[in-house]
Amino acid sequence: MADTVPIYDPTKATVTPSPAALAPEATSGPTAPAVSAPGPLAQFPAPGEPLLTSDAEERVAVATQAQLMWRRFRKHRLAMIGAGAVIAFYLVVALADFLSYADPEASDAQRGLIAPQRVQFFLDGRFSPHVYAMVGERDPATFKRVYTEDPTQIIPLTFFAPGFDYKLFGVIPADMHLIGVEGVNPEETLFLMGTDLEGRDMWSRVMYATRTSLTIGLVAVVVSLVLGVILGGISGFYGGFADTVIQRTIEILRSVPTIPLWMGLAAAMPKTWTVTQVYFAITIIISLIGWTELARVVRGRFLSLREEDFVTAADLVGARQSRIIFVHMVPLFLSHIIAATTLALPAMIISETALSFLGLGLRPPAISWGVLLQQAQNVQTVALSPWLLLPALPVILVILAFNFLGDGLRDAADPYA
Amino acid sequence: MTRPETRQEVRLMRNAAARRVSRRGLMKGAAAVGLTLPAADVSFLGAGTVGAAQDAPLGSALIGELEGPIVLVDAPRPATLRQAPMLDALVADGALPPVEERVPLEPLVVQPLEGIGAYGGTLRRAFTGPGDDENGNRWVSGDKLVFWDYTGTEFRPALAKSWEFSDEDRVFTIHLREGHKWSDGAPFTADDFVFWYEDIYTNPDLVPTPQSSFAINGKQGRIEKVDETTVRFVFEDPYPLFLTILGGTTFMGSGHMTNRGFHGGAYAPAHYLKQFHPKYTAQADVDTLATEANVEDWIALFRLKNQWSLNPDLPILGPWRSVEPVNTPNWVLERNPFYYEVDPEGNQLPYIDRIQMGLAENLEVLNLRAIAGEYDLQERHTDIAKLPVFLENQEQGDYSVRLDPGAYGSDATLQVNHSYDADPEVAKWLQNADFRRALSMGIDRDQLNETFWLGVGSPGSVAPDPSVPQSPGEEWRTKWSTLDVEQANRLLDEIGLTEKDDEGYRQRGDGGGRLRLEIFAISGAFVPFPRIAQSIAQQWQEIGIQLDVAELERNLGMTRMRNNEHQLFMWANDGSELIYAFPRHALPVDPAEAMMGPLIARWYVTGGEEGAAPKEEAMLEAMDLYTSAGNQNAEESNTTAQEIWKIIVDNVFSIGTVGVSPAVMGIRIVKNTMGNIPARQVNMQHARTPQSSHPATFFFRTGG
Repeated sequence: MADTVPIYDPTKATVTPSPAALAPEATSGPTAPAVSAPGPLAQFPAPGEPLLTSDAEERVAVATQAQLMWRRFRKHRLAMIGAGAVIAFYLVVALADFLSYADPEASDAQRGLIAPQRVQFFLDGRFSPHVYAMVGERDPATFKRVYTEDPTQIIPLTFFAPGFDYKLFGVIPADMHLIGVEGVNPEETLFLMGTDLEGRDMWSRVMYATRTSLTIGLVAVVVSLVLGVILGGISGFYGGFADTVIQRTIEILRSVPTIPLWMGLAAAMPKTWTVTQVYFAITIIISLIGWTELARVVRGRFLSLREEDFVTAADLVGARQSRIIFVHMVPLFLSHIIAATTLALPAMIISETALSFLGLGLRPPAISWGVLLQQAQNVQTVALSPWLLLPALPVILVILAFNFLGDGLRDAADPYA
Repeated sequence: MTRPETRQEVRLMRNAAARRVSRRGLMKGAAAVGLTLPAADVSFLGAGTVGAAQDAPLGSALIGELEGPIVLVDAPRPATLRQAPMLDALVADGALPPVEERVPLEPLVVQPLEGIGAYGGTLRRAFTGPGDDENGNRWVSGDKLVFWDYTGTEFRPALAKSWEFSDEDRVFTIHLREGHKWSDGAPFTADDFVFWYEDIYTNPDLVPTPQSSFAINGKQGRIEKVDETTVRFVFEDPYPLFLTILGGTTFMGSGHMTNRGFHGGAYAPAHYLKQFHPKYTAQADVDTLATEANVEDWIALFRLKNQWSLNPDLPILGPWRSVEPVNTPNWVLERNPFYYEVDPEGNQLPYIDRIQMGLAENLEVLNLRAIAGEYDLQERHTDIAKLPVFLENQEQGDYSVRLDPGAYGSDATLQVNHSYDADPEVAKWLQNADFRRALSMGIDRDQLNETFWLGVGSPGSVAPDPSVPQSPGEEWRTKWSTLDVEQANRLLDEIGLTEKDDEGYRQRGDGGGRLRLEIFAISGAFVPFPRIAQSIAQQWQEIGIQLDVAELERNLGMTRMRNNEHQLFMWANDGSELIYAFPRHALPVDPAEAMMGPLIARWYVTGGEEGAAPKEEAMLEAMDLYTSAGNQNAEESNTTAQEIWKIIVDNVFSIGTVGVSPAVMGIRIVKNTMGNIPARQVNMQHARTPQSSHPATFFFRTGG
């Protein structure tokens, strides 16, 4: 195990003009040569004493950058948890219809505002998950809908059960769902997270909301990432006229207030588009503005790096500019890009949720976390049906997960840091 | 699992069961409104409510007996008069004349509901901003010429102590009260009517379009002064309906304080307003005043000065006047020391000194404060969805909840724009009766009722409650207005909308893809229009109709509606229970708010010169009937109204959903300290609820 990673002095490892850096075919990336070079190691305070076991030294020495990153990343426990959570969330995105058991739009006033149902795991001492049928009516004195369990009607839970029709990944027609109930319609019997005012199943709605909320930011982030790196790179690498033009454009774009822009765009979209399409389009437009911050950072790194000796060296030995940029320079601030991306994603998710909550983003019939929370934004929910606020939980979880993941990735992407 | 059919069936069965449990009783309760225009049988009202209580229906515990103060017609002025203690010092200083000189020689004597009240106190309630001036208007509607009793069915004197028709109903004469004074002490006389008629109503700068409520057969009436206290309204043709018009919320009859900048109300304080009128003041001086007030011209100045809610200096006749205007965070009203109502013991009304309305721009905040017991009396903006929370906190907030069901047909009506012309294909279908019938039958009203009205409302068409004299009958509540997906689909197929896309939505006839309808749903209204519209959109999937819900802010929505941009517009059809007094939600005849066809309303009031004629024979027929009622007395006009309703419902001119409910201004939160508050009051536009309960008689048991 490379427990000894911190022995590398970052400043020395990268800044020291390594003779190996002059060799254009250095193993992998500009920093790697420092590892195999004997020079820096010789500078450690106690020369002669082996600081590394030869085994570990060997492993670090021959590891590719990806391997180094992975080792480093694995040590970051929160990041590992975050990565697991993010993967789990994106599994929900891919399998939302499989994981839900009720049509998220199927409504019935007669089952409005049911609290989350208790699941019984044992029946007569045997493991046999089941729920009881719910019987409900409106209390004439309190005007609340009151539901009681009917223990005589046992509804066994089944797995991989047939349910409503859907298309897996948007193409494969299917009707199998992770959870189901035997013999009856799950929409009328199973309420794992309760129901909303219209009697729609919250569990299934949260599944679909996860899909919408987590997908919608992805494209936007990719677009701003590509734009940011390319335009920031041009600006910083070439400088001069290109730099002036790009920087002034960035300043103008950054002065545009987003919320009024958002509102204006929402009104200007073609009427025949669905709410999701409209939102998607707006997100892309916003990302056309959102690349500016990343571009500034990239430009700054380029400005400082292009003066470095190894860049000059690469230039001198005749490397193409694209090679200098992508092989020698970009890996140096890869950690920054990764951090920016993993932080931009939750920012997009939060902004979707916030704008929908304010009624500016997605609107029903679209289902997203923000839409679900927007509909829970009233006194009676807090007082009578607090389970409608549950969609706030995945929002918090996924934002935390992304931030931990981003933190770990940033550390790992710079394994010598 | 094949879903639609089975789900449909299950739902139908359940709905039927739910109806049995929840609706029957409430309908009976609503029947107790007992709207019989010519002669109200008060004993029947009580009986109806008792019957409802025996059934123990949903909401019955909260719907009390209809009751209210009684106007003692022709009662003489009590021998001794008393005034509120807050005025004593002013009278002693000589700033105010003594109460004997302030109250008319023939005041309106009102027997309060429970008994004589105590003076004093500040009543706290909430409003939602300058656009919510109606919140205060309804509390000061004591300045109408004629009014109703507490059942909203029989006329009672108000500013006019008496009236009569003459010359075969061509002349309507009203008699004012001797010694009646404006809130600044100036006498209120026939001259105020003449000023209004000659210098406001007939001045095209101030009132650009002659009003249909002051015309019979398209011929405008005029006002004549007989003597200081006698005024004649003279028409060229018999206009017996004019009394009902004056009783309703109309341009002529709303009163001076409810003129809302349109200068309605048939009278105005001449002695005050002349200083802003170029006929009496040099144009240059008026212009200077306008500049000083930061408004464009004298017309804007005059409009500003003639609105009590914005101009605290305006002399008024209602029970309270503004001291802090409506465009401030606290709209404060204070007693009018010259108010013309007294109780039988000679106490000048109102009992309550002040009404303080706190600004609550957010309805959730308003409701939360109401739940916390921060308001003394709030019936406006209280949300039916929060009824369980209101009930839960009754003791803690020291208030009680009362429900006042309305009498009109539908709290969330899909008003069809019959003059829509932006998309000819959509317009063609909107003007097709079978298309509208199918849309109506595609709505599952029981679901909406249970979800959004807590099961308290009555699902049905736009027709008013069967107890209302203008109602065509119970069967017209359900005609074309019960869920029947099969028949709806058949109707749509028959009219040629047979093409469907792969998602099952019907296609336009002109090859332009999916037939999409759009409904404007205003957010922040009394009922959650956007969410209801969304539910209907969901339900219409079963009949293959795509409905897009455009959620709009109120001002924007209203502007776009007036510009004829809407296809469907969701709104309550309140006021339609007395169709002649407030026809705008039943027929497109009032350009002020013509959701059913702005161009048609224009066409109607201009006698066909502007706007666009209705395309359907039936609409013309209904409008002709409406016009003809002007020549009829109250009883005949009610029969005509029933015929109009039959045409409206049979042709589904607009689509009703759920109504006859307390959802709009009928969830009343009353602090337990308050006295003379009826257990139940009528909830009607023409009764200016709560004016029908004479808020001037409300008081604080503890003295505030």
